[in-house]
Amino acid sequence: MKALLPPRPRRIAVAFGLPAALIAGWWITSADSQSFYFPPLQTILHTFGKLWFSSKALPNIVPSLWRFSVGYLAAAFLGIAIGVPVGASRNLRNVLEPVLEFLRAIPPPVLVPVLILFTGIGNEMKALVIVFGCIWPVLLNTVAGVRSLDEVLAETVRSYRIGRLSRLQHFVLPGASPQIFTGLRQALPIGIILMVVSEMFAASDGIGFSLVQYQRTFAIPEMWSGIILLGIIGIVLSLIFRAIEARLLGWYHGLRQSQRAG
Amino acid sequence: MLEVKSLRKVYEDTSRTVEAIRDVSFSVGQGQLVCIVGPSGAGKTTLLKCIAGLLAPSSGDIILEGQRVVEPPPAMAVVFQEYGRSLFPWMSVHDNVALPLKHKKIDTARREALVRNALSAVDLKGVEAAYPWQLSGGMQQRVAIARAVAYEPHVLLMDEPFAAVDAQTRADLEDLIRVLWHRLRVTVLFVTHDIDESVYLGQRVLVMSHAPTVIMEDVEIDLPDERTQLETRSMNRFGELRKHIYSKIQLAKQGWRPPSE
Repeated sequence: MKALLPPRPRRIAVAFGLPAALIAGWWITSADSQSFYFPPLQTILHTFGKLWFSSKALPNIVPSLWRFSVGYLAAAFLGIAIGVPVGASRNLRNVLEPVLEFLRAIPPPVLVPVLILFTGIGNEMKALVIVFGCIWPVLLNTVAGVRSLDEVLAETVRSYRIGRLSRLQHFVLPGASPQIFTGLRQALPIGIILMVVSEMFAASDGIGFSLVQYQRTFAIPEMWSGIILLGIIGIVLSLIFRAIEARLLGWYHGLRQSQRAG
Repeated sequence: MLEVKSLRKVYEDTSRTVEAIRDVSFSVGQGQLVCIVGPSGAGKTTLLKCIAGLLAPSSGDIILEGQRVVEPPPAMAVVFQEYGRSLFPWMSVHDNVALPLKHKKIDTARREALVRNALSAVDLKGVEAAYPWQLSGGMQQRVAIARAVAYEPHVLLMDEPFAAVDAQTRADLEDLIRVLWHRLRVTVLFVTHDIDESVYLGQRVLVMSHAPTVIMEDVEIDLPDERTQLETRSMNRFGELRKHIYSKIQLAKQGWRPPSE
């Protein structure tokens, strides 16, 4: 497998090529900007350094990431916990499908005012919004993954009288895991968006809260810097996700590679 | 050891009813190697799955060591045709072979010994840490056989296990089965569509008719117990038996059925 990887410098150059070009383009075209709403990139980056690396930054970044983590992990756990039995039982699917389709169609931000009524404006409300948005891709992909388990493998498991718990641990979850990870990956950006949105309505700290504050007080370079920060957070989370996935689904990537090789 | 009594299996669907097996009865003595052969669509796999407890018959009984089979019994192990799909791709070869043993309440030392012995019995060395998809087809099927052997079953059921491997590998695996059968003194029920294979391997060959399946004939294979690919297959008696079974299969394909008793 090592022989198939291109040399590292080439990979890094390719990955960074377009972003570097875009950033350079932004820098150059905005360098002499007099517009209030589109300041030069240089100013934004200067503000970025001043703002988000200061001691004032952490009280905003940490709560946001905390809410995101709690909401995302709860959504992942619930999505899988509900998805497995629903995927395994046709009766359960028939009963639940209409309700799930209905709930799935509700845009999560719309629920924010409703959730504020029930759970106030604290962390619970924000985590719940994130859960409500992130659970759907995880749930539906888990159901699909469980439904697509190999029949021959299922019969093998039965013929060796493998017990229910062991079946779950050694057959159902690993077998559905590629599809489950697809769902988890789709839920990631949804979670980030909802983290910010839930903080824009009623909050006292957080990145979303900061962004709205800057917008309201016309602190435009600060606002832009907040947007860049969100992008960076998204990239970092995505990289962490990919590292975890590569570790847990190593067998799957190997399997697919051997299948493609024929 | 194993008795099949008046087995009948009907598949009922919303659109149609298919009688796969009409009436199959036979018995297998302890330590015998019996082959089941028949045309495509003869319900051989259905029969094997009923015997294995994976499929409930519509009527009739399967008796294993005096007990009725209603679910997969612990004394039986099955080797499927699609070896690639019957091994867990997320586990190493070692874990694949060891998994069924984890529920048999044996201590770790004995379990490890069983795994090691089974893998060496099927002539697999040094692959314990590899993943199934890193191995060739023949090796994967050996892993599946090792898993069945490690389980220490009294009856080994094999459903066309060599249909999906190449001819050279198939010859090696056939010899492997005879060796294992001799060594472990296990009872083997071997389903195949390959007439030559059934004569080469079996002490008896049960010839199935077309669906709705009944047994056309129970042929005794009076070839010597020591069999080799080269010698045995060129014997006159081999040719006679083969021809006899082949003609019966041809009759079966034309829809001929034995007179009912």
